[in-house]
Amino acid sequence: MLVSWRWLSQFVDTRGVDPLQFAGKFTTTVAEIDDVVQWGFGLRDVLVADVLAVTPHPNADKLRLATVDLGGRTVQVVCGAPDLRVGLRVPFVPPGVTLPSGITVRDGEVRGVASPGMLASEKDLGLSDENAGLLALDGCDAPAGTPLHEAIELEDVLYDVDNKAITHRPDLWGLYGVAREVAAMLDKPLKLFDLSLTLGAQLPLAIRVDAPDACPRYVCARVANVVVQPAPVNARLLLRRLGTRPISNLVDATNLVMLETGNPLHAFDARFLRGNAITVRRAQPHETLTTLDGQLRHLQAHDCVICDAEGPVALAGIMGGANSEIRPDTTEVVLEAANFDAPTIRRTAMRLGLRSESSARFEKSLDPVLADVAARRFLKLCQTWNPQAKIVSHLADIGPFTPEAKPLSVIRTTASYLRERLGVTAAELSDAWLDACLTRLEFQVARAGDALAVTIPSFRATKDVKIAEDLIEELGRHYGYDNIRSEAPQVAARPPHTPPLKLLERQVRNTLVHAGLTEQVLYGFDNEDARARLGLHEPAELTRVAVRNPIASAHTHMRRNLLPNLLAVAEAGLVQGDDGQPARKGLNIGVFEIGRVFVPERSDDRGLPPVLGNGTEADVAAYTAGMEGEMLRGVLDARLGTQPLPLQPVRLGLVFAERLGGGAEGAKLVFPAPEVTHRLLQQAIATLQHLLKWLGKVPLALETAGPAASAGAPDAQPSWRSQLGFDLVTADGETVGYVAALHPRVRIALDQPAQAVFLELDLAGLERAPAFKRVNR
Amino acid sequence: MSELPDWQIEIDQGAGRWQADVEGAETLEALRSLEVRALGKAGEIPALMKRIPQIPPLDRKAFGQAVNTLQARVAAAIELRRQVLVDGLIAAELTDATFDPTVGALPLKLGHPHPLSTVQADIEAIFSSMGFHVLDYPEIESEFDNFEALNIPGWHPAREMQDTFWLDSGHLLRTHTSAGQVRAMHEFPAPFRAIFPGKVFRYEATDASHEHTFHQVEGLMIDRKVSVGHLLDSMRTLLSAILQRQVEIRLRPGYFPFVEPGFELDIRCQVCAGEGCSACKRRGWLELLPCGLVHPNVLRAGGLDPTQWQGWAFGLGLSRLVMMRYGVPDVRLLMGGDLRFLSQF
Ligand SMILES: [Zn+2]
Repeated sequence: MLVSWRWLSQFVDTRGVDPLQFAGKFTTTVAEIDDVVQWGFGLRDVLVADVLAVTPHPNADKLRLATVDLGGRTVQVVCGAPDLRVGLRVPFVPPGVTLPSGITVRDGEVRGVASPGMLASEKDLGLSDENAGLLALDGCDAPAGTPLHEAIELEDVLYDVDNKAITHRPDLWGLYGVAREVAAMLDKPLKLFDLSLTLGAQLPLAIRVDAPDACPRYVCARVANVVVQPAPVNARLLLRRLGTRPISNLVDATNLVMLETGNPLHAFDARFLRGNAITVRRAQPHETLTTLDGQLRHLQAHDCVICDAEGPVALAGIMGGANSEIRPDTTEVVLEAANFDAPTIRRTAMRLGLRSESSARFEKSLDPVLADVAARRFLKLCQTWNPQAKIVSHLADIGPFTPEAKPLSVIRTTASYLRERLGVTAAELSDAWLDACLTRLEFQVARAGDALAVTIPSFRATKDVKIAEDLIEELGRHYGYDNIRSEAPQVAARPPHTPPLKLLERQVRNTLVHAGLTEQVLYGFDNEDARARLGLHEPAELTRVAVRNPIASAHTHMRRNLLPNLLAVAEAGLVQGDDGQPARKGLNIGVFEIGRVFVPERSDDRGLPPVLGNGTEADVAAYTAGMEGEMLRGVLDARLGTQPLPLQPVRLGLVFAERLGGGAEGAKLVFPAPEVTHRLLQQAIATLQHLLKWLGKVPLALETAGPAASAGAPDAQPSWRSQLGFDLVTADGETVGYVAALHPRVRIALDQPAQAVFLELDLAGLERAPAFKRVNR
Repeated sequence: MSELPDWQIEIDQGAGRWQADVEGAETLEALRSLEVRALGKAGEIPALMKRIPQIPPLDRKAFGQAVNTLQARVAAAIELRRQVLVDGLIAAELTDATFDPTVGALPLKLGHPHPLSTVQADIEAIFSSMGFHVLDYPEIESEFDNFEALNIPGWHPAREMQDTFWLDSGHLLRTHTSAGQVRAMHEFPAPFRAIFPGKVFRYEATDASHEHTFHQVEGLMIDRKVSVGHLLDSMRTLLSAILQRQVEIRLRPGYFPFVEPGFELDIRCQVCAGEGCSACKRRGWLELLPCGLVHPNVLRAGGLDPTQWQGWAFGLGLSRLVMMRYGVPDVRLLMGGDLRFLSQF
């Protein structure tokens, strides 16, 4: 979100503060600034000019000659702008002036006519990319010849605040909230809004909120006698540099007030509100609405819509309907300044893929107090820009929210707790400073000695600040985290615990690397493309864990064996060469991976604290004693709804592959001599037994039909296993994996003539395996 | 002058022949076989003694002395010759210029640990040395562990921001190693400190700096009193050890539902020493990791009473750290399996 320093300075006295320097402090105190942009500088030689006369260019159809008044002198220049007309007030760039774009205006001729200067568009002045016409200086009443930077608001510094850094701060989605933080940082007062209005008679609209959960507050007013025209130049340029396209005074006013207060507004053309009625309700089945962007939207029951007597006229909090938008001939508007429920807005915006400036703000849980402020700001601005405009209604305020009905929450804590958690002393962060800091942020502090009762202002209460820990953050960031002394924690000296499986993994990794193999870390997803190409599959009855929202068509399932991904890597290595060995006949590759596989079979792990799994009701009550609200609901729901997790054994997979020949087409049908296969198999077995020796385990027995397999053992008969191989059996009589040659059918499918052997092992099974055999005495 | 007896002539001639043979031995092996032939138990010179019965009795003593002398002379000649040969061989060995370093290689081959494993092992060693458990938790997780327990309720935008992979079973692929926080709290009695490294998953398009699968290390410390000051000290100490230099750190506000207060931790850019450069996007600081004080709700979910226990936590991007340490330009290289890349580590 972009923040204008100039605009902000209308609410806080920032004299003497260099916004470029201040940006660093803002980042560490409030939110990260991605970029600082300087706007509208380098234009001090540009003047205000009034167009007195326009005549055709003798030599060019698309050019005209403009005679402009520069205050006491007139100049005739050539101009190509289509909107050039008598009475227009525009920027004039004298000859010899170099603009920020680097262009120097010449004192020369254009198509044979002298043109000592230039009339400028926004783009010419580097103010925006707008180049369709001249920058019209509407609403600028400085005399002709005044330097432009004195006549309109230029020379601004923009902070581009990282939106991700303010997702939890609805108050910072409006300039005023940012100004409040800056005021607190500078210890300066924050200027209050003037919210006084002269209101008219009874609102000739019947307003109902039928979905109070979706719309806590609906503030509404009707304004007559408006004239749709461009907004004043300062407002247009402000919108422009904040990334919003100026449209017309009415629409621009809604946008400006949204940017200022953070509360989105919507203006309807009163002519098109059928039946003089507004109802806020959930959508009905099969209802549709064409939004302002021309798209037909199919609504669902949880969407919130604004309706007139006949149907939807706006998608609440997201976008208005095309049927009631402001048009050039609009003379009477109905203003909506509402507060909508964040999850409702987010769900609808997500489903429709329609994220607007408005939905982005409502999603953050806006303060309902703002709706009234925003409505009044709009009406005020509307009257400033349209002095003839009349508010012809009351300010209607409907919905369950009233400031009285929702008392402000209070946090009870102590100053010493807040200090202790920051790691500061009372000498460093005094009671007086603490109270003043919170007060500047508009918390109300009631103190009784060390005890504090801190009232949360409404604009921080919607989700951001709830508990004492939130106050630690408020104090810490304004005190300056840099000012907090580092302090080494005083901890009990205890040897750390490392799970035996983890220790085994380290040994396996080190030993295999020393035995010449290259370690791999591969995706937990299977690769369906490679599996299909190579004919890799487990027996049909063995299912895999399926991904509901796969990121790619090849990644629809989680792997239940390591070998398929590992084989694909070895296959690629046979083409690319490995470790300085060229990719030719005889290239021998050894790769391994230690990683988890996923077997749909239920484990005894539900991903829940033990107390929720098998505790008594009393245990559960004790566990949930301090929880409330959503937390408590979530925990109790999880207790009922959570299914056991799949098995996720850690395995070792290992492949030795050897290239049998060149890569010519058809050469894939090279069959390995038995000795080659035998040698590779021996390589794998020798590596395994070497590993077992390092692990201090009894060597695994090689059996053609081993005993029962461990829970984490690889699938016994996948398509890639040839009959030439062995089950690997521990001295305790548990099959923990196998070593085998690649099935010839899979081998033939490899894109190189090659032979491969592999082994896959359940590491937990291996970890359990005994270190010695019993000796009979 | 009396004539020399025959045996005397024979012994004298023999002495001359042996001398010539010794001097003709060109190798230590030839000299050794000559030695055996001349002086060995079954050698020719000891065999002369067997002729005593044929020698006139008066000459026998002289004959015996003559054979002994012959034996001694030949032995001395051989020893002398051996010295000459050894000297020559030593000189030749010392002046050997025939070695060609480009030819031949030992059959030894060392493999390659994955850079992720190497960096992870370094980090595990550092934390282990400071009393942190090194734990391993599942990659398929419950919503509870990944979200609810971390103070991220169902409506929370973080659930969408995290871009989760969902499984048909209703479980999910953990979006952060933080999913292990509450597991650790239930597994170990407080106080404790632990790290849990591992794979995490995000539903997001891949490019040079984004992967749907990457690696993190979660750190968690639970104790009676844990403050921002403690966090600062711990992070500075640990990061200096991990990055193998003294790092300067700063905290700025960051929002993560499971910590309060929450921080983004930056380290002073080493490239420009904080002056601002392209590596740090002219900020002088590099964003390194999110951290904070454990939220009371997370402690509660972990079965700990927040009035009795406090904590700090951080989540370090292991993949990012590997990229920083080795200058890897593209995160996809890490899990791409390309041996041309991996065999350099
Ligand atoms: Zn830098």
